[in-house]
Amino acid sequence: MVKYILKRLGYALLVLFGVSLIIYFLTRLMPIDYVRDKVSQLQTSGSVVSSDMVDAMYASYGLSADAGFMDILQGYFNWLLDLLRLDLGVSFKYGIPVADKIADHMGISFLIALIATIFEFMIAIPLGITAATHQYKFRDYLVTVLVMVGISLPAFFFGNILKSWLSIKLGWFPASGLSDPTQDLFGFARILDYLHHVFVPILTVVILSIGARMRMTRTNMLEVMNSDYIRTARAKGLKEKTVINKHAFRNTLIPLVTSLAGLLPSLFSGAIITEQVFDLPGIGNIALQAMNVGDIPFIMGYNMFLAVLSVVGVLLADLMYAIVDPRVKLE
Amino acid sequence: MANHYLSGKEIRAIAKQNAKEIKRLEAYKNRRAPESEYLTQMHDDANILEIDDLHSYFFTEQGVVKAVNGVSFNIPKNSTVGIVGESGCGKSVTSMSVMRLLQGPAGQIVSGEIRFKAKYGDATKVYDIAKMPIRDIYKIRGDQIAMIFQEPMTSLNPVFTIGQQLDEVTFIHRPDATKEEAKAKSIEMLNLVGIAMPERVYAAFPHELSGGMRQRVMISMALASNPRLIIADEPTTALDVTIQAQILDLLRDLKNKIDGSIMLITHDLGVIAEMADYVVVMYAGRVIEKGTVQEIFHNPMHPYTIGLQKSKPTLQSDSDTLFNIPGNVPNPIDMPDHCYFKERCSQCTKACSGEYPGMIQVSPTHFVACHLYNEEAKA
Repeated sequence: MVKYILKRLGYALLVLFGVSLIIYFLTRLMPIDYVRDKVSQLQTSGSVVSSDMVDAMYASYGLSADAGFMDILQGYFNWLLDLLRLDLGVSFKYGIPVADKIADHMGISFLIALIATIFEFMIAIPLGITAATHQYKFRDYLVTVLVMVGISLPAFFFGNILKSWLSIKLGWFPASGLSDPTQDLFGFARILDYLHHVFVPILTVVILSIGARMRMTRTNMLEVMNSDYIRTARAKGLKEKTVINKHAFRNTLIPLVTSLAGLLPSLFSGAIITEQVFDLPGIGNIALQAMNVGDIPFIMGYNMFLAVLSVVGVLLADLMYAIVDPRVKLE
Repeated sequence: MANHYLSGKEIRAIAKQNAKEIKRLEAYKNRRAPESEYLTQMHDDANILEIDDLHSYFFTEQGVVKAVNGVSFNIPKNSTVGIVGESGCGKSVTSMSVMRLLQGPAGQIVSGEIRFKAKYGDATKVYDIAKMPIRDIYKIRGDQIAMIFQEPMTSLNPVFTIGQQLDEVTFIHRPDATKEEAKAKSIEMLNLVGIAMPERVYAAFPHELSGGMRQRVMISMALASNPRLIIADEPTTALDVTIQAQILDLLRDLKNKIDGSIMLITHDLGVIAEMADYVVVMYAGRVIEKGTVQEIFHNPMHPYTIGLQKSKPTLQSDSDTLFNIPGNVPNPIDMPDHCYFKERCSQCTKACSGEYPGMIQVSPTHFVACHLYNEEAKA
C-alpha cells in the first residue's frame, strides 16, 4: 500500500510538471499584456511614459514586449526555480506574495463549498434513491423534472433570481459581501453574520449541483436494484426496507464515495460565477480578476494549487475504492 | 401472423391499457388483507404445492407477454419435480411467481392459484400465494420456500462477506439471536453443504470463492431457514460438469435430510433424468406434457417432448449432426388460439388449426396437451 502510494506520488510529480508547462505557455500566449495595459493606464491618466521606462517595467516583471518561444521557456524555468525554493512569486495585481493571497481568500470559498457539498449529498442521495425505487411513478417524474430544472439554470441567472427574491424583495438576507460593514462584531455574532451573508450563495450552489448528483445516484441505484444479488436478498425473506437500505445502498455507495474524493479540488477552487454574483471575496472571484489582467504569477500559483489538489483527489479516489469495494486490490 | 411494427396509435393504446391493468394489479398486490382472505385448502393432501391455471404476464410496450399462460401442476411431498423447456418457455417466471419475485410494475400475476401448504411446528396452513398481499409474503418467502439461482457468480452481494450474508438469514428467523449463535449456525450450514474450512469461507468475500463454492454457499443460505420447498432455478447451468454432479448429489442428499421437496428448473434433460420424480414440460408459457420421469423418458407423447429427447446428444449415435427441432419459439405477444407448436410440428393434423388442445389424461399420472391423442377429434 505504502509502495503503491509512493509510486503514484512519483507519477504525480511528472503530471504536475507537464501541467505547469502547459499552463505557463497558455498563460503567456494569452492576448493580455500586464505591462502594456499598465502603461496605457498611466498614459490616459496624463503621465508621460518613456520607452526606457517601459523596458524597465518589462524587465522588472520578467516579461518582454514580443515574447518569443525562448523568452517564454526562460520565464517558465525562472518560475520553476522559484517554485523549487517554495516561492510562488509576487502577484502583479495584488502586490503581495501569491501564496499569501491564496491563503487569505481560500477560507471563505472552502467554507461555502464544504457546506454546499454536505447539503448537496444529504439532499441528492435520498432523492436519487426514492426516484430509483419508485421508477416511472409520480415521485420519480417529479424529482427528475425538478432537478433537471436545477441543472439547466445557469449560475449567473439563478443566483440573481434568488438574490432579487430573497435579498431584495423579501429583504431576509444581505444582497452582497461577506460581512456587515456598519457593525463591529466579535466571536459568535461574527460567525452568525458570516453565515447570514453566505446563505443565499450556498443555496444557489446547492440547488444547481443537486441535479447531477441525484441523477448519478438514481442511475447507480437502478443498476444495483436490477442485479442478481438483490433478487437473492429478497428471496432470503429480507424486508424490502433492508434490501434497499443495506444491500442496494451499500453498492450504490461505491461510485458515490469515490466521486466524493474527486471533489477535493472543487472544494478549494471557489465558485467563480456565484462569488461574482454575490460579490464575495472568495478565491474564485480573486482568480478571475487576476486572469483578466494577465497576472501571471497568480494564475500560475492558483492553477498549480488546483492541479496538486486534483492529482491528490484522484489518488484519494483510488484509495477510497479499495476501502469501499472489497474486490479492488491496489498493487 | 401478427404485424410486429406498431403504429404510434397502437403504442399509445397499449400503454393506456397496460397502465390501467398495472394499476389494478399493483393495488391488489400492495393491499392489506386479513389472513382469512388468502387461506385455502389443498385439493390433494399429498401435495405441498399446487399451481392451478396460473397466468403471469409482462406488460411491455409492444403488448402483453403471456409468459405463463395457464400453467397447472403439483409438487407432491418429498419429491423432486423437474420443469423442462427451452429458454423463454416460462419456467423461470413460474418459479418467480411462486416466490412472488416478479419484477413489478411490468411483471404481474394476473390470475390463477398457487396453493402452498406451510408448516409451522405441527400446525399446517394452506396459503394461496397468488392472492397474498406482498407485505405478508415474508410468512413463506425465505422461510417455507427458499430459492437457489442460476448465476452463483452474481447472486451474492459483492460487498458483504459470506458470513454477513449467511448470518442475516438466521437473524430473520430469530431476531433475538446473538452474533455468536448466528455464526455457529452459519458455520454449521457451511459444513452441511460440504465446504472444507468453513471458518475461512465464513470470513471470505464472494469474489474470493470459485463458482462451485459460491453455489454451495447459495444452497446453505437456502437451507438455513429449514424450508419445506426449495426452488432450484438452473442451479448447475453456470458450473462445469464435475462440479454439476457434486452440486446435484448435494441437493439430493439435502432433500432427504430436510424432508422437503425440490422444484428443479433446467433445460438439461440429463439432470432431470437423474434427479426428478416427476417432469413438467413447458412450451411458450404452457404445460404441454407432464408425468413421472419414467413416463416422460420412456413414453414421451407430445411431438415437442419427443423432439427434445431426440436432440439430446448421445455417444451411441453414428450421426455427425445433432437432431434439432426446426424453427423458433413463437413471439409470445398476441398468440393465436391454436397449438403453439403447430408451425414446428412434424405430425400436424387438421385438428391442429383448431383451438388450443386441452390436457388429455393417458395414465393416472401422465397428461399431454396434443390433438394426436384426442380420441374424439380423431373420430
